[in-house]
Amino acid sequence: MKSKILLGFLLIIVMLIIAGTMSIIEFIRISNSVGGLLKNNYKSIEAAKTMIESLEREDSGILLNLTGHKKEGNGIIQSADSAFSKAFLIASNNVTEENEQDIINEINSVYNDYKQGWEMLYKDDTVRCNTEVYFEGHHMKFLECKQIVHSLLNLNQSAMYHSATDLKERSQRSVMPGIVAIVSALVFLLMFNFFITIYLFGPFKRIIKGLKGHQYDKGDFDPQTPLRDEFRELDTEIKQLSNRLRNLNKNN
Amino acid sequence: MRIEVVLRYIGVVFIIISSFLFISFLLALLWQENTWILFLYSTLIALVLGFFPVIFVPKTDYLTTLEGVFIVVTGWISICILGMLPYILWGGEFSLINAWFESVSGFTTTGSSILQDVEALPKSLLFWRSSTHWLGGIGVIIYAILILPQSGSARLILMGSEFSNLAKSNFQYRTREIAKILVFVYFGLTLLETLALTLLGMSLFDAVNHTFATVATGGFSTRNASIAAFDNVGIEICIMIFMVLSGIHFGLIYNTIVRKKGNLFDSTLVRAYLAFIIVGIGFVSLKLFWSGSFESFGQSLRYGSFQVISLATTTGFASADSSVWPDFTQFILIYFTIQCAMAGSTSGGLKFDRVWIFFKSFGRQIKLLQHPRGVFTVKIDGKVIDDNLEVHTLVFIIFYILIIFVSTLILTTYDIDIRTAFSAAAATIGNVGPGFGKVSSLGNFSDIPAFGKFVLAANMLLGRLEIFGIISLFFRKTWW
Repeated sequence: MKSKILLGFLLIIVMLIIAGTMSIIEFIRISNSVGGLLKNNYKSIEAAKTMIESLEREDSGILLNLTGHKKEGNGIIQSADSAFSKAFLIASNNVTEENEQDIINEINSVYNDYKQGWEMLYKDDTVRCNTEVYFEGHHMKFLECKQIVHSLLNLNQSAMYHSATDLKERSQRSVMPGIVAIVSALVFLLMFNFFITIYLFGPFKRIIKGLKGHQYDKGDFDPQTPLRDEFRELDTEIKQLSNRLRNLNKNN
Repeated sequence: MRIEVVLRYIGVVFIIISSFLFISFLLALLWQENTWILFLYSTLIALVLGFFPVIFVPKTDYLTTLEGVFIVVTGWISICILGMLPYILWGGEFSLINAWFESVSGFTTTGSSILQDVEALPKSLLFWRSSTHWLGGIGVIIYAILILPQSGSARLILMGSEFSNLAKSNFQYRTREIAKILVFVYFGLTLLETLALTLLGMSLFDAVNHTFATVATGGFSTRNASIAAFDNVGIEICIMIFMVLSGIHFGLIYNTIVRKKGNLFDSTLVRAYLAFIIVGIGFVSLKLFWSGSFESFGQSLRYGSFQVISLATTTGFASADSSVWPDFTQFILIYFTIQCAMAGSTSGGLKFDRVWIFFKSFGRQIKLLQHPRGVFTVKIDGKVIDDNLEVHTLVFIIFYILIIFVSTLILTTYDIDIRTAFSAAAATIGNVGPGFGKVSSLGNFSDIPAFGKFVLAANMLLGRLEIFGIISLFFRKTWW
């Protein structure tokens, strides 16, 4: 009986340890997911947005050049190019998704092609942009480049959405083991308590009933107490006490 | 009532379930899926809750009938709760009620599902889902009878509670012999079908999962489109053969194949059951062809026969979307959903044997009207059916229909259309699986409100446990 009760307590401890370990593992996973969410996708999304903004500013610069404001136009183009290059560097150093490297390579290739077209505008003062060159050359390449940068933005936004969904599921999963552990432990404790009542207090009741039931005054010194385990030892002791009483009675 | 003895038996069942949870854990490790931790956790909980009462409570040599009923009913409910663990720990589509629905559907071999995208689940979780069918199919309690070194009387009472009264009347062996027959036929069918499906081109994973669902007359598939996803006539014919075999009394299969004692067709019930199926196939196929649902009669026969056999054996696989078929064919399929398969098989629900007794009783009443002083009896295979069994059967049928109507009524309060509500109620209590309307063979039960799912899950348990067993738990006299 003693070993069974000890086993019960040990099992409760094991269940609590498992529940705790599982919750800790899930919380570590959640914190890793949050880190990944920020590190992997957020940086690339911001870089893509900056690249799109830079491309639009470059396009504005070319239009200014076209309308004769060459100096202002060139200034805008140069600062936008610098911003684009910085953002591109961030994006190219933060490749985390499948196919992202291909998109980066394509942006690099299309942008260089686009850049070659408008570089001549501010490097050579004699070159003037006209409407035909703008619509057939610069603007088409601008749209192409913008579309590819958009695909980089979409890829990372989609990955971020999936990561966030995954995070939501993980947070649910980190709560569930705890709930399951609590419910299981409660069921186990109820069962344990029930067994203790049956097998620990039951024998006491039988001893009391046996002792109350037997009649010393009629010479009955063998109270009936059907028992097992340590309670059998107690039963034996009681019977020996009865025998001693009987012998004492006989001697008197 | 000795609750501690009940707990000991449930403990043994938990230990058996834990072995399948452990296999799922090993498979998750093998396939490098992140489900390994939830299976490990579930296994440990099952082991702790299972071993503790087995260690604490001494062996018992006898059980009262009441204790037998109590062990079976509470055992089924307990394993359904245990079966929820991997689902709720996984999350996703599995809310608490969805996990309960899926687990009950698995263990009762119903095959109704709340999953909208089955293929999105990890393979190890799909294996667990199919395992619940396989375990439920044979009745976990029967395993316990074989494994537990108990005396004959304890075994007999458990078997009596687990097995339909009709099935018992056909078995002429001792309880241990019956359990051996069940296990032999069950393992035999499982091995044969897995082998056949693998040879026909299915992957081993798909073959094992579909075999588990077929021999248990369950219906869970690893594909969203069920058997239609394979588009393979050979696979469909193979599954049809095993669905029919799994819907027939296992004792008769054992007698025919192993003991070489007579054959399946000596039994009136088998002949009548197969005749009903053949007539059903004929009507459905002809209507499908005439209505132009399929281009040729061959195609109508292919899809019509699969769907009829699938529902008549309570399996619930689908090779086509029968919800778009003509109303006439859907009505015939609903009849088979209510009729169910034979007693002594792994199927639940009303059972064909009762339907046959009902028709025979009806004939007897007509004869009594014609000859009021005549003495007529209901006979099956030359054996007179006891009046008590006849009355029990008729009361069972009335109660069964009543439960379908009450469940339909509850579902319609949520503005669910009558076709969906009625077919869902009939399909769940019959342990069939798919219904019609929104819960058709290629649909799912995800749109049913939470309380509706709870009612349908209760139907599944009622169908599996032969109604009276589970209802008796709600009466005070059962407990004291």
